[in-house]
Order: sequence, then C-alpha cells, then structure tokens
Amino acid sequence: MSVAYSVIAVLGTLVVAFIVSLLLPGIERKFIHARIQQRIGPPITSPGIMAPIKFFFKQTINPNSPMPRLYNALPLISLLVVTVLLLFLIPQMYFVGALASVIAIIGFLKVEEVMYMFMGSLSRSVLSVRMPFPDIVKGAKHPETPRRFLEELSTLRAFRLIAFGSFPVYIALFVSVAVTGSIFLSDIVAYQQLHGPILFTVAGALGAVVFFIGYMILLNEYPFGILKAKADVIEGPYMEYAAKYRAYNYLTRGFLMFVLASLFATLFLGIAPNILNPNFIITIIVALLFPMLMAVMSAFSPIFTYKQFYPTVAAVSILGVLAIVAASL
Amino acid sequence: MDDNKEKRTVIEAEIPMGTVHPAALEPYRVRLFVEDEIVRDAEITVGINHRGVERIMEGLPVEKANSLTEKICGICSNSHIWNSCLTAEKPLGIEVPERAGYIRIIMEELERLHSHLLYLAHGSEVLGHETFAMRLFYIRETVMELLGMIGGNRVHYGASILGGVRPRCELDEMRIQQIKNGMDLLEEKITAFADRFVSDPLVMSRITGVGVISQKDALRLACTGPTLRATGVEKDLRRDMEEYDPFEFDVITQDDGDVKSQLLMRVMENFESIKIIRQAIRDLPPGPITNRSWEMKDTPLTKSYIEVPRGTLYHSYALEDGRVRNCVIRTPSMANIGAMQYACIGHHITDAQLCVVQCDPCFTCTDRAIQIIEI
Amino acid sequence: MSLKSYSRGRAIHVMLVYTGGCNGCDIEIVNCIFSPKFDAEQYKVFLTWNPREADVLVVTGPVTKHNEKPLLEIYNAIPEPKAVVAAGACALMGGVYKNIHGDIPSEEIAGPVDQIIPVDAKVPGCAVRPQDIVAGLVSALPLLLNAD
Repeated sequence: MSVAYSVIAVLGTLVVAFIVSLLLPGIERKFIHARIQQRIGPPITSPGIMAPIKFFFKQTINPNSPMPRLYNALPLISLLVVTVLLLFLIPQMYFVGALASVIAIIGFLKVEEVMYMFMGSLSRSVLSVRMPFPDIVKGAKHPETPRRFLEELSTLRAFRLIAFGSFPVYIALFVSVAVTGSIFLSDIVAYQQLHGPILFTVAGALGAVVFFIGYMILLNEYPFGILKAKADVIEGPYMEYAAKYRAYNYLTRGFLMFVLASLFATLFLGIAPNILNPNFIITIIVALLFPMLMAVMSAFSPIFTYKQFYPTVAAVSILGVLAIVAASL
Repeated sequence: MDDNKEKRTVIEAEIPMGTVHPAALEPYRVRLFVEDEIVRDAEITVGINHRGVERIMEGLPVEKANSLTEKICGICSNSHIWNSCLTAEKPLGIEVPERAGYIRIIMEELERLHSHLLYLAHGSEVLGHETFAMRLFYIRETVMELLGMIGGNRVHYGASILGGVRPRCELDEMRIQQIKNGMDLLEEKITAFADRFVSDPLVMSRITGVGVISQKDALRLACTGPTLRATGVEKDLRRDMEEYDPFEFDVITQDDGDVKSQLLMRVMENFESIKIIRQAIRDLPPGPITNRSWEMKDTPLTKSYIEVPRGTLYHSYALEDGRVRNCVIRTPSMANIGAMQYACIGHHITDAQLCVVQCDPCFTCTDRAIQIIEI
Repeated sequence: MSLKSYSRGRAIHVMLVYTGGCNGCDIEIVNCIFSPKFDAEQYKVFLTWNPREADVLVVTGPVTKHNEKPLLEIYNAIPEPKAVVAAGACALMGGVYKNIHGDIPSEEIAGPVDQIIPVDAKVPGCAVRPQDIVAGLVSALPLLLNAD
C-alpha cells in the first residue's frame, strides 16, 4: 500500500511540476516584462506551451554540427538531468541515500552547466563563419587568422561560468548544510520541521539572497546572460536547434525554473515537493515568485560583461560565506 | 595604428559577425580579431548595400534626382533631399521663400529627433536593456506621427522641392498646434527618460569609460558630427549655415569621448532640436512656400555641405540641360568608420558591439559614397 | 482546428532579413515589433534572429549582389513549414534601384526577392507601415496553418 502511495506521490509531483513549469515563461513575459514595458504582451500560454508544441510539429532537420546526433541528444539529456534532480527532492525518494543529498544536487547542476559547453562546441550556425561572404580578399586585415564561430565564443563563456558563475548557488546550498549539520535532504527537511524554516534566521535570509542570484546565473537570465547575449552571440549554444529539439530546450528551461525553486523550498523552507502534502502549494508559490522577481530584475538591467559580472559574483559569494559563518556560530 | 592604446599583436582568432545580426540594423560585416575575449583589431566591411544611386542619378532630370536622393536613407531622408535641393538652388539662383526655409528646418529637426531617439533605442538594445529600447521607441512614435502628419508618409516625407517645399507640407494652424503639443510631450518624456538613464547605476557602469575616442584621435580619424562633438570639439556646421541664422541654439559638447558621452550627447541634442522647432513655430513667417519663377540653365559642379543627424553631408553635381551630371555624395558614417574600428580595440566583445553602435553607423547611406579625407 | 494549426497560430516566430534597402522598412518593422504602440507580441508574433527558430522570414530591400547568397542560406536554414513575406517596394520589384534608365539592367541588384526565394505574401509601401506588416503576416498565416 505504502509503495503505491509513494509511486502516486512521485509521478503526481512530476506531472504537476511539469504543468506549472510550462506556464512560467508566459507569466514572466506577459505579466512582468510586458507590464513594465507598457504594452499588452503575448497570451500567457504562447511562450511556454504553444511554442514548444509548434516546434514539435516542425520538420526535423539535420543540424550543422560535426556530431549532429550527439548535438540533438543533449537537450534530452539535459531535460532528463533536471527531472532526476526533481525526483530526488521528493521525500518518497529519500531512500536512495547519497543521491538525495546536497552533494548529488551539486553534481546534477554541474552536468546541466557542462551541457552548455557541449552544445556550444558542437554547433555551427550560418550566422557567422558560414555566412557566404567574400571576406578574405586582397587587402583584408589578418587573412591567415583562424576563424571562430559565435557558438565557440559562447563555449568559452560557458567554461568561465562553470569556473566562477555557479559559486553563489553552491554556497547557498551549503548554508542549510551548515545550519542543520547534515548533507542529506531528509535530515535538512526533518530539522526544519522541528525548528522552523531556515529562511527566517539570519543565515537563511542571507543564503536566500545568494541563492536567488545563483538562480539567475544558472538560468542565464538577462543581467547574467552573457552566455547568450543577443548583442554578440545571438542565442549562444542553442543556435542550431530546430523543431522538436528546440522544443526540448524550451521545456528544459521552464522545468529548471521550477526545480530550482522547489530546491529552494526544500532547503530553506523545509517543504519538500510532494503532491500528497498540502504544503505543496507553497512550493508552487515559490516557483511562481522566483521567475517574477527574476523578470523584474532582468527588465531593469542591461547585460553584464565580466567587468560587472566578476564583482557581483564575488560580492554575492562573500555574502554567502558570511551566511555560512553566521550559521555555524 | 594607435598611440595611446598599448599596441598588441597577439591575435588568437577572428570572429566574423554579420551580415545579418541582431546588433546591426543594416547589413554590414564586422570582423573582430580577438585574444581570448578581448578585441585586438577590428575590420568593418561595407559595400554590401551598394546599389549605385550615384550612377542612377547620372542623367536624370534634377527634380527626379532630388526625390531619388531621398531613397538613399530611410533615417535621414529629409537631409538628403534638402541638401540635393540646395546643391541645385545655389547655382540656379533660386530664392527660397522664408516660410519654406522655416518648414525645411522644422522637418530637419524633427528628423534629427527621430534619428537620435532611434540611435538611443538601438544603443539600449545592444546594451541588453529591452525596457529602455521599448520606451524610446514609444517616445519616438510621437515624432514619427508628426512627420507623417506633415509629409503624408512616416518615412520618406519628401518635403523639399526646388524652390521651396511641397504644398502638402504647408503648416496650417491645426498642424502648428499639433507640433506644439508634440514638442511639449517630447520634452517631458525625454527629460523623464534622461533622468532614469543617468541615474541607472547598472547602465552607467556598462557605458562609462568604454569605447573612448580621444579628441586627438577623433580629429586624426576625421570623425564628424555628434561623434566628433562628444570628444569635446565644438564643431557644428549648423553654426555656419545661413538657413540656421535666425535660430538660437547651443552646440552641445561632451568631454570624455566614451559611449556615455556619445549617448548623453544625443540626449542633449534632442533638447536643442526641440528648442529650434519651437522657435521656428513661433516665428513662422507668412507668405508663399514655393518659388516657381526660376529658369533652368547649365551650371558648373556645385558642392553643398549641411549638418545632418550623423555629421556633415556632402552632395555635389553639375546640371546640363536640366539633368544631373557627375553626382557625388559623401555621407557622415563614411568618415566615422575609422572611429568605430578604433574604439573597439581593447574591449570585451560585448562592449565592442557597443563601440560600433556608438558612432551611429548608417551604412545604407554610406554605401554609395566615395571617401574624401577632410580634417 | 487541430492542435497543430492552433499551436502554429499561437506562436509565430518572425525573422527579419535586410538585404540592402534604405533602412526605412527595416526600422518600421522593428518598430512594429518593438514599439509598445504596435506591439506585435500581442498578436503572438515574436521576433527572433535565428533562422532555426523562425517560421516567417520577412525580407526587405532589393537584394544586392552581396546579399543574394546569405539570403538563400538563411532561407534554407529555416525548417518547414515556412513562409516568406517581402516587405516594401524594393523587395517587391526592385524599387527605384532595379531599373536604371530604361532597359539598362542594374549591375548591383540581384533582386527582387521573388527571383531568389519563393515569396508568399507581398506588403507594398515605401516605406511599409507597421500596420501593413501585421496584415501581411496575417495573410501569410493560412499557409503555415494548413501545412503538414
């Protein structure tokens, strides 16, 4: 009996999470960006639901890539990783032990980031080097220089982001570890059910801010979106995805928004995503609030180059370290 | 090529961008030579837009050629047709009625407003600030409506003809009132925008100290127009043009020559344009708007320079049996290409796009021009 | 209406390619999508700069010789179903640049657009008005909705 309940809980949570995550891009675009920009904006279903469905019905083409099949498989792997990440947040899955721990979560997020590098280095878009244009002619500057695709540039940036961009979110994850003294999610949730949410302590409040910045960096949302800055790399690693593989990308992004928000709810509010628990509504509220806050931030800021990016990450990381220190005092 | 910036020759790779790219409003190709992600050299390829307007103008009746010059550029169309008319009017001895001169100035200044607002919107888009871009497009809509009301078309209004302005562009009481209201609205909105823009720390940190062109380099690279004035050189051809004699306005200059001064430069020039339009509306003399009593005759090659939103525009042609001969047009963006390439050097790639955009490129004008070096 | 056509009608990605026009049309189209006054997003039209994402290709300008191959490449990169909207007098018939002096062909212009790629909707005007662009997109829409 309890096994059946567990299966229902896990599957139900995944399905509800998926449905909510479909609405997030629409909410961000319609209610925040369009309102701030004083226009009507698209219908709420268009960016999140209708666009992926439309892409599923488009012709599947062979992408310009040295390894087209691997390139096309990457968004699926990425979606799978995010799903697994959510799976291990669900309390019924805590029996897996070490996989349901903060360390495992960091590992999964790392995989997610590494995907961008693979995507970027495998894409060969028409918009830069392959554009048929007589560039290398008599009198051209430096005609012997090796030429680089825009996506390779974004690979370089993805590499940088792996090195420093994800600091804030990892430090924020360890705030709750420092408070509860355990890396296991079950212990963290149990601690908060006894002592109240970590969010309402000094360390937790600082940690939440750090987590939010890390959330934006992980999602490459606009002030931190140097990986896919429209001004130079256009769409970065996603350039060659078409048809259903692009749809997977759309879905992954929405889903990652939800999963990171439920991660926050688990670590800082002590509410693990579980459809059978009435507190699941709080997870959904957090998942709606985070993209809204993020959209407000992105609507009011230009894109950051490294000159702004490094100090921001450094400052936020220091804040995170302070939170950990405050937690262990 | 540079004295101030440290000369580095380490070039790891080339990143070509274009001809279709979101940061460019028109087809051009930028080749950035980078070390890591820092630009060490840049090359801007023009000529993609070459449509041969000067050749088409050869042998056309001058009235037709005038309206053709307008199609050179969709941003500064009035400047082209105005300067083309001036080129013919001077040697033919056509006296332009005073009222027509005023209406031409009003059109030109409205055009400067919409060009500068477009520049700011494009700059904000390249900065990644979508909200500012949209807000500026919204502000610009006021100007476009005024232009559409006067000329009958939102782009290519064709106000100037030989000997005055088109009867369609006559300003009656209702139109004058609308222009007045529009100017009040614009001043309010642009002021509000400028306040927001200057007080935004994130935007300011992106644009301060980026893409610096020193005064010496600006003169050496033969920059013109606002790009030159933003480096502190007080040179505005409007001061020398007799058409602008009745109006009082300041020549705006900025000191730093970076993207911030370039952007603020345009914001400030908007207010000067509004000032000029208000004066023109106030003092609009009565009388005819077209002088039809002139004789066509052969003329020697005549040159004409005017100040347009991007700098100094040069037209020259001779007339033979009422037809245009030896037409040469030089547009301001041509002179600024050197500055665009120069300003990129030493910056991150994302900033390099900004450095190109800061000089207000209009390659669609440029690609029918020859280069004449003037300092 | 099937889910296929419904979803296609609810999310239209538009790519803009400028092929050497005078900027007038380009800016009016960007204006149409960017300006809050026209705001094409309320009609479910989204601007994209990636041919792999696009459904509708909006082409302006008379297609100069240098732009011929890039235009073809970009057109080929768009996955089916796709529609092409030619906007402005130059894109429709070469405008003032195509025909110089009677029968002399221009050496610089390869266009108009329908000589290079098939055009589904034509939007006249010099320059096109933003309202007309939205109307042109709508007229190209049945082609997308009814495609396989």
